[in-house]
Amino acid sequence: MARAFVREPDGFVALLDDGERLILSGLMQQTRVLLSPEIEPTGDAFDDLVASMGVSLNLADQGDPATSHGDVTGAAGAPGAAGAGHGTTDAGYRDPALDRLLPTAHRGDDEVAAEFRRLTEEGLRQRKSSNLDVAIERIGAADDDRVVLDAGQAPAFLIALTDVRLLLGERMGMRTEEDADALHAAMETIDDDDPLGYAMAWYDFLTWLQETLAHALMDDGDGEDLLTSDGTDDV
Amino acid sequence: MPTASLSLAPVEEEATSLDEVVAPDLPWVTIVWNDPVNLMTYVTWVFETYFAYPRSKAEKLMMDVHVKGRAVVSNGPRESMERDAEALQGYGLWATFEEDE
Repeated sequence: MARAFVREPDGFVALLDDGERLILSGLMQQTRVLLSPEIEPTGDAFDDLVASMGVSLNLADQGDPATSHGDVTGAAGAPGAAGAGHGTTDAGYRDPALDRLLPTAHRGDDEVAAEFRRLTEEGLRQRKSSNLDVAIERIGAADDDRVVLDAGQAPAFLIALTDVRLLLGERMGMRTEEDADALHAAMETIDDDDPLGYAMAWYDFLTWLQETLAHALMDDGDGEDLLTSDGTDDV
Repeated sequence: MPTASLSLAPVEEEATSLDEVVAPDLPWVTIVWNDPVNLMTYVTWVFETYFAYPRSKAEKLMMDVHVKGRAVVSNGPRESMERDAEALQGYGLWATFEEDE
């Protein structure tokens, strides 16, 4: 049974059993596949910045074939497409989850939005992938069920959890507050073997885990109460 | 901070380009939109971490997003707002930039 993240002398520590780590790592890896950049991050911030600039400024020259990837509930990009990043095809198909993970940055001017995307998408994919890599590595390095994060790894893990929840939420059709309410209400009557029930249970688990890590990061010991203490409240 | 007698800073540009004369650079804004996934605590943490806003300001902005559906989280020249929107998207927030009305 899982124990939430708490601040300990050696870092931020959660207790997650084998099954919990397997699922969590699997969801992170699927998110990682969808977000994979054209050029994989090297771990060196400067090299990655240069690489992302080179690619994003020369997207028209990119012709690497994209591959089809399975994802959280089985939807997949069409195979054999020219690359505008994973989850997209040259036939104009763009995995809807990408619009949630890499949303349009200008509402009302498609040209500005497209230019922004061209300049930023590769870098965003690299940073998100790096965060997921850190999180997957920490889960894999768990010892005696202890997932331990240092001060630099904790924010990466926290952001990685966000991207996994965004992807899972999108796959479940959770796009508005009303959707979220309806999904939670549907859990009351859903069949035991409905995959949506499992997805929702893991979504709630991720929510709980993220909430505890955010609280641990923000608790700077000044006694100031956080405004939000309800673990299920969303914005 | 002591005043240095020798400065390595570039000489300030006084000249303005024709573009700026014809169409003065109006302030732009970065907006964060409500969504059903991002947690109140997390959004507060992002505003504290990225903008270095104090807890009270971060929480007020977070509540504006939650209650009003959107909040202007920063304003300034377009390039800065593009940078903020990109960074906030990196955190998974639904951030956009636009010219302030």
